[in-house]
Formats: sequence, structure tokens, C-alpha cells
Amino acid sequence: MVRNIVVLGGNSHPALVESVCNMLGLPACNRVLTKFSSGESRCEIQDSVRGKDVYIIQTGFGGNGSKLNDHFMDLCIMISACKTGSARRVTAVLPLFPYSRQPDLPYKKSGAPLFKASSEAGKKDYTFDSVPATPAPGLPRSAGLINGSDITSRLAKTALTNGTGSMSPVKQTNGDGFFHGVNGQGLQTPGFTTHDYENGSHIGAFQAKPGYKQWVAQAGTLVANLLTCAGADHVITMDLHDPQVQGFFDVPVDNLYGRPLLKRYITTHIPNYKEAVIISPDAGGAKRATAIADSLGMDFALIHKERRPTKITDRQNASMMLVGNVADRVCILVDDLLDTGNTITRAAKLLKKEGATTIYALLTHGVFSGDAINRVKASAIDKVVVTNSVPQDEHKALLGSKLDILDISPIFAEAVRRVHHGESISVLFNYD
Amino acid sequence: MSAEMANEIKLISGRSHPELSEKIAKRLGIKVARTISLNYSNQETSFTVGESVRDEDVFIVQSTSTGDVNEGLMELLIMISACRTASARRITAVIPNFPYARQDKKDKSRAPISARLVANMLQTAGANHIVTVDLHASQIQGFFSVPVDNLYAEPSFLRYIRENFKTEDCVIVSPDAGGAKRATSIADHLNTAFALIHKERPRPNVVGRMVLVGNVEDKIAILVDDMADTCGTLVKAAAVLKENGAKSVLALVTHGILSGNAIETLNSSVLQALVVTNTVPLGDKVERCPKLRVIDISPTLAEAIRRTHNGESVSYLFNHAPV
Repeated sequence: MVRNIVVLGGNSHPALVESVCNMLGLPACNRVLTKFSSGESRCEIQDSVRGKDVYIIQTGFGGNGSKLNDHFMDLCIMISACKTGSARRVTAVLPLFPYSRQPDLPYKKSGAPLFKASSEAGKKDYTFDSVPATPAPGLPRSAGLINGSDITSRLAKTALTNGTGSMSPVKQTNGDGFFHGVNGQGLQTPGFTTHDYENGSHIGAFQAKPGYKQWVAQAGTLVANLLTCAGADHVITMDLHDPQVQGFFDVPVDNLYGRPLLKRYITTHIPNYKEAVIISPDAGGAKRATAIADSLGMDFALIHKERRPTKITDRQNASMMLVGNVADRVCILVDDLLDTGNTITRAAKLLKKEGATTIYALLTHGVFSGDAINRVKASAIDKVVVTNSVPQDEHKALLGSKLDILDISPIFAEAVRRVHHGESISVLFNYD
Repeated sequence: MSAEMANEIKLISGRSHPELSEKIAKRLGIKVARTISLNYSNQETSFTVGESVRDEDVFIVQSTSTGDVNEGLMELLIMISACRTASARRITAVIPNFPYARQDKKDKSRAPISARLVANMLQTAGANHIVTVDLHASQIQGFFSVPVDNLYAEPSFLRYIRENFKTEDCVIVSPDAGGAKRATSIADHLNTAFALIHKERPRPNVVGRMVLVGNVEDKIAILVDDMADTCGTLVKAAAVLKENGAKSVLALVTHGILSGNAIETLNSSVLQALVVTNTVPLGDKVERCPKLRVIDISPTLAEAIRRTHNGESVSYLFNHAPV
């Protein structure tokens, strides 16, 4: 029994809340968290939080009919309600941090980059094709330059013709007519504003103004700021996609690691694990994967997205290259997040081609969005192992024995206990 | 780019109410900026600006569509933040229907003051200025440390009443004590009688007993309020007015949220008409409810944007509705 502590759960992951509460030996705080019929969140906290140490558990996952943004707003409202209810300290516990992955390109709904014609994606339920995230030779430098007209000389011309400007109180956007001309497509009144994201053709039609590379919102900093502005004094999360996100906060952030759990799984569930190879499916995750490989004394290999033009023999894996040897060995793919499953399934395909015998995929967060379930089912991966940082019941039902789930509630319960008592948390980082 | 081209109005529209943005843009004689908002498959909202907003005067129009308030709010915050990081000179959030406006006080223990949270969030995201219409409580302006222009639908309503009725036949009725000020202001402008209905509210979205104060006999009773949500209040009030001898009853409401069974409630009520502005997207509700009339508020918003951009006074709009 821990005193003076209140654990408040959101609607995103009730099972985890219950499990953490059980381990701490206290009941979850009574609350009403629903929606008014207008769509506004309704939050009533029924137990006193005055002078208490409040931990609010809400994971960044929407599914099963609930919405990610609703959960995030609920979290902010709960934090704010506890703060105004005179809580001593409010800690936001986000097992999966929402908006932690910063896109470097506009993505379409399925998670693949927008640059490629969307007609390709419609062919199958899922596709292994994707275009490298950075402009490559042979591809247009930006969406606006597709017709290859010399933009700089054209721009110079507009500047001249617009020199006088119009005199109406609200100036017409100069040059608009010109830009439409360049694009050569009839720009009807709604312009390029695409409000209707359900309509794929609209998104395909979106183009930045010629000469302007589009600006994609990077919501990570915003989310961090919103949590602090709502009143969070402390944030606990797990395996942030970019550890730099910690720097977005002005309050302490404890980034827990799923690594010990994954390591334990490898040592207990994979026969002859010393002979297996740890694989990072992309260069960004190499550090994460080597950390596990080093501590277990295992071999390591890396898959790297080749962005130079190569002789294309196998189109589908043209951009993937394996560094290291996996022939006739068990492969363990390690990454932090499975979202649409594109990276990991493509990596598995490559590994199979290179002669891997069995392929495991170990990931901290299994979001399985879009057609990820089908993609994983159809892939060469023999076993996917994820933690319950987001609810996994539905995924388990769909994937069956292909999916193993690791329980993270002991780590979070221990983190909450230690933070509450002011004990060091670093033990949890090196925990074996 | 020449110097004259910098700092123009960039009108950016969220997904919640594109029709309103289009109307505003048309009125201003500009085009809505090229942007794209979408949700990734993991439901995170993504927003992309397709043209430079550097050093421009950015106006972001986002209402809150019924049932999807949080989605719209999050999108608005992301849009503001994107324009801020893209070096916009000034960002004005045009929020015709301010979300969470009713959660503006701590009316019981540990109740969240969500309106204040929304205000803080908007400022955290980077909004320099807020334009809104008929805030539920004008005190919400105090939650902000940036300027808030609270516009009124009242001039549009006054014009509607003058155009459609003989003012001496009308009596303005406030459906609750909180709206008395709003209703008396209209009654004073029209020089008509005024009545008030007092209600008891046991739970949210549920209406209790009602008492009429004032005389409505043989008059056209015009109910005036700032929002119609489930319409329970309005319909009950209309019934009370009918019982007290009103010739006919209609309602003038700024924000037609019309959630839940509002349309069915309205259709089966004694209300002759419900007049709302288009601050909230109405979708197919106009077709589903023959009693629903819509006043276009976009001229007022467009004029407020134009005046804000040019540094002119906005207070003219408090008493006049541009045609």
C-alpha cells in the first residue's frame, strides 16, 4: 500500500491502469470521463486529490472506436482538473508518447509518402513499395517542379508584373493566376486546400505552390508544450522514438526502456539465442539494436535504405541493403515502433532472401495501424513480440500465435512507486 | 519577392468548416491557402502548408464540428504551431464557436475549467490573436493574455427580425436567467417587450421545471440564446410560451450545435422556426429540419479579418452587420 498517491486512468488503456493499480495495491481514482453529446469531453474527478501525488495514465493510441486526439485532450483536461483541484504534483504517464515520430515528408493516410502517385497504392491491400524519404536523382526536386519549367526566371517575371500591387483594402494574392497557369490544371475555387481526407484523389491533387517546398507540421514540440501548459509537473514515458523529445520539455521526463523486457524474452524464449543475429531494420534504430546485441554478446547486422541509384534487379527491395551476414541463422529484428509495419515486413522479406531461417520481430510499441495486421500476417516474420504499451487484445485476436505480448505494467508500477518516494529510477534503466 | 508582397492575409482553413472559410475568402477576394490536413493511419493529425507564410498575416479558420470537438481543436493547435514555426508574422485563430466555452468555471469540486485550458493551449501553440463569435461567457476573454475579439451575431439577428416581423408584435424572451442580458439588449434595440423563463437544471443535457416571467399573450415570442445543443431548453421554453398564449414562437440562436436528437426534438416541437448562424457546420441538418433557417455570419468574420489586418477598429461590427 502506497500512501498519498492517486492513480487516475484515461480511457485509452484501462487494462494497464488496473494492472498498475493492483501492483501498487491501491484502487484507481473514481472518475467520470465521457463525452457530452456536443462532442466536448466531460471529466469529473470524484475522489479528492488535494495535496496528493497524482499519476495519470493515458497512452497515445486510438482504436477500438476511440480517437487518439480525444484521449490526448482528455489527458490535458484531467491534468488541468487535478491541478486546479490542488493536487501537489501531477505526473503524466504516457507509455506510448503521441506524435513522437516526426515526419520528414507529407504522408498519405496509409503512412506512405505522398510523392508517389496514389493510384499505385490502391492496387493491393498493402504494398511493399515506398519511395525514399529524400529526393533522389530522377525524381522531381519538389512536387511543384514536376513540369520542369524554370521556376526562377518565371518568379522574376511575376515580381516585375506585380510591382505596382493592387489598391483594394485587401490585396489580391498576386501571382496566383500565374501559378495556376504553370500548373496547367484547372484550379477550381477550393484551390488546393484539401479538407476531405477521406477522398484520396483530393490528397493526390495537393501540390505546394511552385517553388515552395511544403512545410509539414512537427507536432512533437507542441504536444510537449501542451502537456506542460495543462500543468504536468513530470512525464513518464517509454522508448521515445527520438530521445531528443525529452529536450522539448521544461519538466523532468523519465524515458523508461523496454529493452530489459526484450532481452529477457530473447534469453528465455529463443533457443540458442547466442547463435542468432540482432538486426536493426533501419540505420536510425542501430543504436537501440546494438545495445541489446552488445549486452547479450550476440552478432549484429543492419539493414540500410539505399538511396543512390543502383542496378535494379529486384525492384521491391531495390532500396534495402543488408550489412552483415544472416545466412542460415535466426534473425531478431529490433525496433521501437511498429506502426503500419512497412519497415519491419520489408526487412523480413530481405532477410529471408538472404537466407535467414527464422525471423523474430521485437518491438516496444505495437500500434498496428492501417493494414499492418494483414501485412504482418502475409510477411516472412515468424513471431512478433510487442509490449502492452497500447491495448493488444484486438491485435492478439487477429494475429493469434504469431503475436507475443510482454507486460510493461511492473515497470510502470515500479517507476510510479520510485518517483513517488523520490528514489532513483536509473535502476530501471539498467535492469536485467 | 518585392516588399509589397510581404505581409498579406493568408487564410488557412481547417477541416471542420471549409464552407465558411470559402465564404470568407470569397468576400475578401482572396483564395484559401494551399494546405492539407489528414490523419495518419495511427490517427495522428498531420498538417502541411503548401505555400510560404513567412512574415505573412495568418488567419486560421476552424470551427468545431459537432461530435468531433477534440479532433478539430487538436488540428487547430497543430495548424497554429506549424505556422508559428514557419515564421508567420502574426497568427489569428478565427474560432467562430469557441470549444469548451461552457466549462468556464469550477462549479463543483475538481471540475476542470476546460475553457481556460483551451485558452492556454491556443497561446502555447502560438496564437497571437483570437477572433470568435458570441462567447458563452464574455469573461472567457480574461483567460487569454492575447487580444480576443468577441464578435456578436446580434446585429444580424436585429436585421432578421426587422426584415421579417413587425417589431411591435414581438416579445423577446430569454430562455434562462443567464441569457437575460443578451435578450434585453435585443429588446432595447427593437424597443419591444421582454420576458424571461427561469429553469431548473438537475443534470447536464437535462432540463427541469420552467416558469415564465412576463407577458407574451397574442405576441410573436422570439427566444434568444447563444447556443442550441440538444434543444431541450428551447423546445420546453417554446411549449411554456405557447401555454401562456403566445401567437407563435421562434428561436434565434448563434451557435446551432444541434447534437444528439436535436433535429427530431425540433421537428416535433411547437417552435415555428429556429434561426441559427453558420458558425457551426450544419451538414445535412438543414435538409432534415424544415424549421431550421441559417443566417450567414461570414460577412462579419471577413470584415473583422480585413479590419484586423489593416489595423482598423473592429468595434463598428458590434453594432452593424455588413451585408
